[in-house]
Order: sequence, then structure tokens, then C-alpha cells
Amino acid sequence: MRSLLWKWADRLIGLSAIVGTIGLLVGVVVVLVDVVGREFHMPLTGAQDISQMAMVTMVFGGMAIADRLSAHIAVDVFEGVFPPVINRVTQIIAPIVGAVVFLILARAMWEAAALSRMLNLATNIIFLPKAWFQYMAVVMSVITALAMILRAVDAILGCPRSEYEADTKR
Amino acid sequence: MSDIAIGGIGMAVLLAMLAFRIPVAFAMFFVGFVGISLLHNSASAMSLLASESFTLASSQELVVIPLFILMGNVATVTGMSRRLYDAAYAIVGSFRGGLASATVIGCGGFAALSGSSVASALTMGKVSLGEMKRFNYDERLSTGVVAAGGTLGILIPPSTGFVIYAILVEQSIGRLFLAGVLPGLLLAAMFILTVTMLCYWKPEFGPAGPKTSLRQKGRAFLGAAPIVSITLLTIGGIYGGFFSPVEAAAVGAGLVIFVGALMGHLSLKGLWSAARESVVTTASVMLIVMSASLINPFLALSHIPQVAGDFLVNLPVPPLAILMLILLTYVVLGCFLDSLAMLVLTLPIFFPVIVNFGYDPIWFGVLVVLTLEMGLISPPVGMNVFIVKSVAKDVPLGRIFAGVIPFFLAMLLTLAIIVAFPQVSLILPNTMIN
Amino acid sequence: GVAAAVTFSAAAADSLKFASWVPAAHTITEGVVDPLIKALEEGTGGATDIDYFTGGELGAGPLEQYVRVVQGVADMSWGLPGYTSSQFPKTMISELPGVKGDKPGYELLWNAYDAGLLEKEFPGVKPLALWLSEPNVFIMKDHEIRTPEDVKGLKIRVSGTIAGDVIAALGGTPVQIPAGELYNALQTGLIDGLVTGTSAIGDFKLDEVANSYTYNVPLGQISFYTIMNQAAYDGLSAEAKAAIDGIAGRTLSKSAEDAWNRKAEAVLESMKAAGDNTIIVLSDEESAAFEELVLPVTDKAIGQLGAEEVYKTMRGEM
Ligand code: NA
Ligand code: NA
Repeated sequence: MRSLLWKWADRLIGLSAIVGTIGLLVGVVVVLVDVVGREFHMPLTGAQDISQMAMVTMVFGGMAIADRLSAHIAVDVFEGVFPPVINRVTQIIAPIVGAVVFLILARAMWEAAALSRMLNLATNIIFLPKAWFQYMAVVMSVITALAMILRAVDAILGCPRSEYEADTKR
Repeated sequence: MSDIAIGGIGMAVLLAMLAFRIPVAFAMFFVGFVGISLLHNSASAMSLLASESFTLASSQELVVIPLFILMGNVATVTGMSRRLYDAAYAIVGSFRGGLASATVIGCGGFAALSGSSVASALTMGKVSLGEMKRFNYDERLSTGVVAAGGTLGILIPPSTGFVIYAILVEQSIGRLFLAGVLPGLLLAAMFILTVTMLCYWKPEFGPAGPKTSLRQKGRAFLGAAPIVSITLLTIGGIYGGFFSPVEAAAVGAGLVIFVGALMGHLSLKGLWSAARESVVTTASVMLIVMSASLINPFLALSHIPQVAGDFLVNLPVPPLAILMLILLTYVVLGCFLDSLAMLVLTLPIFFPVIVNFGYDPIWFGVLVVLTLEMGLISPPVGMNVFIVKSVAKDVPLGRIFAGVIPFFLAMLLTLAIIVAFPQVSLILPNTMIN
Repeated sequence: GVAAAVTFSAAAADSLKFASWVPAAHTITEGVVDPLIKALEEGTGGATDIDYFTGGELGAGPLEQYVRVVQGVADMSWGLPGYTSSQFPKTMISELPGVKGDKPGYELLWNAYDAGLLEKEFPGVKPLALWLSEPNVFIMKDHEIRTPEDVKGLKIRVSGTIAGDVIAALGGTPVQIPAGELYNALQTGLIDGLVTGTSAIGDFKLDEVANSYTYNVPLGQISFYTIMNQAAYDGLSAEAKAAIDGIAGRTLSKSAEDAWNRKAEAVLESMKAAGDNTIIVLSDEESAAFEELVLPVTDKAIGQLGAEEVYKTMRGEM
């Protein structure tokens, strides 16, 4: 059961990372086209709009995989000082706190997106609707939270899975 | 319960969560969110959570972070970083700690390109940490030097630290930038001195390499030519007005990709995995930046900075003592707070007092930025140390903080020198702008 | 202990949070916040006051200020419609070249607001002040602008689509740069200049790097709002409501616009005194050459929005 859940979670995490990586590459290309075009008096209209939203895509797209690869930074100074039981508790609590944070973030972003629609908010030059990107952030935050919940369950059952499959297969 | 008590408890809870290895970003988000909910209401905590994280994630100024990481990653994948450090090793490798000193110089050069310490530490970390490891440098020295060297980014112009200071207290950006130049060079020199002394004391920190012939040096340098020219082109493009510092990051990344592909060192697959790794690093760094931005309004609402500041500036002691206490406050606050947030919260209280005492506001700006740099590497919340950790995943954070100590002391000494000899910072602005 | 805590929180409950994303020294303090504090002090005898958060303490940047007021992070804040222009298409008619004429800018905005034409662009809030800046000018480095010809081929920073159309109509290249990078961009020559109001020159220290300024060009102006959360207003005591009502609208807007104009005057005087600046004031004839190219942009923008009614109401022609 859990391995099936993990399989699906890892697929979602991988997808989210792909979207984020595309965001980064789009950002690079758009800025380059704008810089070169400007020298020929043909700047790319809305380059700033696109690169900003590409950045949002990348930042939220990378959240789940960063957690999966244990890239979220913790202060490990006292690791050796505490008894093993405390470290075990930390392994359970940390993903729970993370999941709570990302679920609250998703909820907050959801409300903000509704407000963006009410206020008709969009980027300033080519009017990319802000709500699109906020809904995307909601989805990516929920994926991150789900992965963290699974990680907490693993820790409670005492069999933490440290390897990320998609990463080892790569 | 009073606002101040809630603020104090919040900070204590934050420290406890960090000690128990809750990831830094989760802990700061949690404390910031609950704190704002208590001091104001949960609706506004939700609102700030959404608006601050979206604003930061889409911030034009922070776009440099993923772009520079990408540049560093691609430089590493294509072997450009390796050839750069081969060249550095051939030239200064025979000195103890030579590569670490070369990294300080690299950080100084990068600081002329970027106004942000985070971007400096990330890029230099990506480029140099693996390389110093290759030459058997102690991980405390290599991570410490990158974390500390990266802070030069806000002292050597351009600098976001000076821009924010200038706008907050209505001072000239141009004068502040000039005032940062000599202290920046002095600090870089102090870092090199620190490296040299460390390696004199413990040779195994940065083992000396074999002596090389002039020919070997020349050949190694030729190998580093692509990455050196790309960096020079990028810096030149900024000062030549072809692109902005933000765009320079994309240009640098684009050039590294282009040259790497041209030389046959970069496959599409290699590019994709370098980009994917950049996304992971960006996400973990941005999550900390976003969470720090929630601690800021929490502390503002608690009125702690205001009350503490008012208490401090009204102490019945001479001006120099007050100045020292203010700088000390910045160093202490820097242990917990995001640096720039700290300026916003405290400058309105401290600045009028400093001006009243007749101290030069430009000089004070340099002192403040120096203390901000110290805050970037001091535990428990040291942004640059987290940055280095995000690059060097296998090095325990405690070892990075240990490695940073000598450089922190070097900064303290530099701060003392500039307090004692204000001319170091003021001579350039006073002679070049009247 | 307990009693003190109770009074402390009771006092805090009657404090309205005014959030500003700029330092306290900014013109907004003198033009809007101080008058509001004074009105509340006089109207309520200190029972309701303002807790003033500056420098973005309650959340950084101008972009999200409206959202923060609607969601109650702050009770009041101020901002520029131009930063989120998709929300304020009709309000921003007031920014177009040739719209303002000789009347005070806030009259245009309140004419339209009172006629019910702008309400839909301000949901969830009570606008306390709406005003216009001093006229936009050319702020240039190493280029003097006297005729439309002089703009040809120059890279000029703009912040919105219509400003971009204006620059394009004059033959320049509109460039998008974040406000925080203006100083560097001018210094290095990434941009040749920008278009904004005189007061912004001081805010971003642009006088250190720019050296030529052209006045009396039809480049429009910038609009501003100060808003209050509707629920926060509804929850006020009768005295506090009366105090706010007594100043909100044209009175507070006039105070803001006057403060902006005074700031612009002061900046202009200091630029003249500095001696190393070229200040060009076009004659009306010279200005007409610009109008010929620029006013069609205004007409087109109004036509596209179908906002002839807003335009005429603003100008008092309805
Ligand atoms: Na710098
Ligand atoms: Na710190």
C-alpha cells in the first residue's frame, strides 16, 4: 500500500520538478532574447513578466523534490548531543511541521488566488493572470505536503525510505 | 500577555525548533505564522504568508539566484570549474591554502558582479567546493572561506545592502558604494591573511601542492581561459551598459551553456540535470528566504526592536559606547534575523541618534553593512552558512559553522579597524564626490 | 500586571494599522498619514489612533498593498494603480497625457469616483484619498530632449504598457527595469533615461546619475490611492467614523497632492542649485510637436477601453 502511494507521490514530485526545470530554462531564454533584442531596438515585450512568472514556477516546482532529496536545511549541530530517541522523534516531527506549513501555504495561496481573480490582478505588461500561477503554487505545495505526510508515516512505522527512486534510476 | 512577551517566546520557540533539527524554513514559517496570528489575527497571517512568498518567488532581484546557480552547475558539469581550479592550483597551489586564498579573490571578483551575498556564496560554492575537496583541502576551511567570502557581495559594490540603507536613511547610493570599496578590499585581504595563518598553524587544512614550471602554469591558465573570459565579458557587459546585473546572470549562464556545448562538453541530458539540480537548490534557498520574511512582520508587530532600541539609545553612556552597543546589537540580532529585515526594523531608531552624535552617516552605513555580513555567517540563523550547506550537502552544518569562526574574527577585527580609522571607508567618497 | 496588560491590549485594539512600504521620511507621511492622525486625535480625543508601520515592516513592496488591506494585514495603506494596472484600467485614464488639463488632479479622480465610475476597481475598501503626481518629465543621462527627434533610438525605462506606447510613438525603445535597478541602469548607460515625476528623482537618488531634465512635455502623470479596509471602517466608533469621513475624499487628496507638488518643487530647486544639471523647459510650441505624436496614444487607449464617459466625467464635461 505504502509503496504504491510512494510510487504515485514520486511521479507527482518528478512532474513538479520537470515543470520547474522548464520554468528555469524558459527564464534564461527569455532574458537572453530580451538582452539581444534590445541592442537592435527590438526588446521582447513582457520579458520581465515572463521571467518573473517562470521564477515562481521554478521555486514552487522545486519544493517537493528538494524535500525528497533532503535538501531542506536543518541545524544539525546538536545531532550527536541528543539521545537517539530524540533524533527519532525529530524524524517524525520535522515532516509533520513541514506538511502543516505547506498545507497552510496552499490554503493561503488558494485564498490569494480568489482575491487575485476578484481584483483582476495580472502582470503589468502582457497581463499574465496572477491567479494561474497562484493555483499552480497551490498544487505544487499540496504535492510537497503529501510527500511529507508519507515521510512522517514512514518514520512513525520505523522504516524511513531515504532513497528517491526517480533519482537513483536516473 | 504583552506583545513583547509573545515576541520573546516566539524567538525562544524558534531556537528550540532549530536545536531539534526542524528544517530552518519550516521552523521560521511556523513561528512567524503563529506569532502573527497571536499578535494580530490568523487572517492576516494567511495573507502575509501568501503575499510574501509569492512576491519573493517572483522578485526580479532574486531571479539572479537560480540563474547564477545554473551558471555554476553548468561550469562544473562541463569541467570549466575544474580547469579554473587547475589553473589556480598551478599558479598558487604551491602555497599552503593557496586555493582558499584564490577563492577569496574569486568571491571579491564575483562581488563586483552581484549585489547579493546569497548569489555570491551559491555560485562560488558550486564552482569551488568540489574543487578544493579534490585537492584535499579541509572541508571546514573550504566551506568557511566560501560562506565568509560570499558576504563580500554586499560590501563591494554593487550592493543591495547599501541600496536599502541609502533609501531608508536618505543617503547617497554613489557615496556608499565608493565607501564600501576599500573596506571590501581590506576585508578580502584579512580573509586571505586568515587562510594563510590557519594553514601555517595547521598545514593539513590546505596542503601545499608541488611547484610548477612556468610552462605548466601557462598551459593550465589556457585551459581556464573560457570561464575567465565569460566572467570578464559578463562583468564588462554590466559596466558597459549592455545588460543589468540581473540580466548578467542569464547572460553568464547562457554563455557557459553555449561555450560548453560548442566545446562538446555539454549534452542536452547534462544541461537538463544541471538545470534540475539548480531548481532543487533554488527551492531550498528560496524557502528559507521566504520564511525569513515572515519573521520580519512578526517582530515588527511585537514592537521588540522599537522598545530595545529606545532603551539602548537612552542609556547614560558616552556616544562611542552607544555606537558600540548598536553595532553589538546588530551582531546579536544577526544571529537570528534576516539581515536586510534587521535594517528596516532598527535603522529608524538608531540612525537619528548616530547623526545626533555627529557621526558620519556614510561611515555608519559601512559599519552596519559589515555587521550584516557577520550576521550572515553567525549561528544559528546564518544565511550564507545555509547556502553553503545547500551546495555541500555531505558536510555537517556544525563543521561549516566551526570553519567560519576564524573568518568571523577577521570581520570583527576589520570592523574595529574601520571604527578606529574612519578614513578607510571615507577617503574614496570624500575625494571622488564633493 | 494583569490590569496593565488589559489596558495595553484595549489600547492596541483601537489602533488602526497604517502600512507604508517606504521609509517614514517619504512624502506620504506629511501628505496623508499626519493629517489622518490629527483628524482622529481631534475627533476621538485619542480613543482611536494610528499605528504607523513604515519601510515595509508589515510586508514589503508596493505590489501587494491593496491585497494586504483587503485581507486585513493592515487597516490602511497606499499605493500606485500603475503597479497593478490590470486592476485599475479606468482609474489610470487620469494618468494619460493630455487628460489632466489645468485642474488639480484629485478633482478628476473624485469626479469619476463620485459618479460611480471607479467603484468597481476598489472592491473591499473605502478609498480615503485619490490623487495625481506632478507632471512626468524626461530624466536623462547625457542626452538632452528638446524635440521628438531627440528621443529616437534612445532606451527609455517605462513601467507600464501605455507609457511604453508613448515612448514607442516618439521613436524610442521602451525598456522594462525594476525600480530598484534604476540607479545602476542609468549609471552604466543600460538606459538613456526614464519618464516619471520629479518627486521620484529624490526617492531613488536619480539626480546623482542623471544630468538632463526636460519639463512641459505631454507625458502624463502618476495616480495614487490611500485606502482603508471596509470592515475596519464599519467597526469604528461613531466619533472615529465621523473623523475619517470629515477628511476622506477631496480634503485628504488635496493634502496629498499639495505635498507631492511641494516635494517636486523642492527637488527641482535642489537640482538647480547643484549646478551640474541641464533643466530644459519646453515652450508650448515645442511641446505641441510632442502632443501631435502622443495624444493619439491617449485617444486610442480611451477608445480601446470604451471609457469616453470616464474621460469626460473626469474632465467635468458630463
Ligand atoms: Na557586490
Ligand atoms: Na546569523
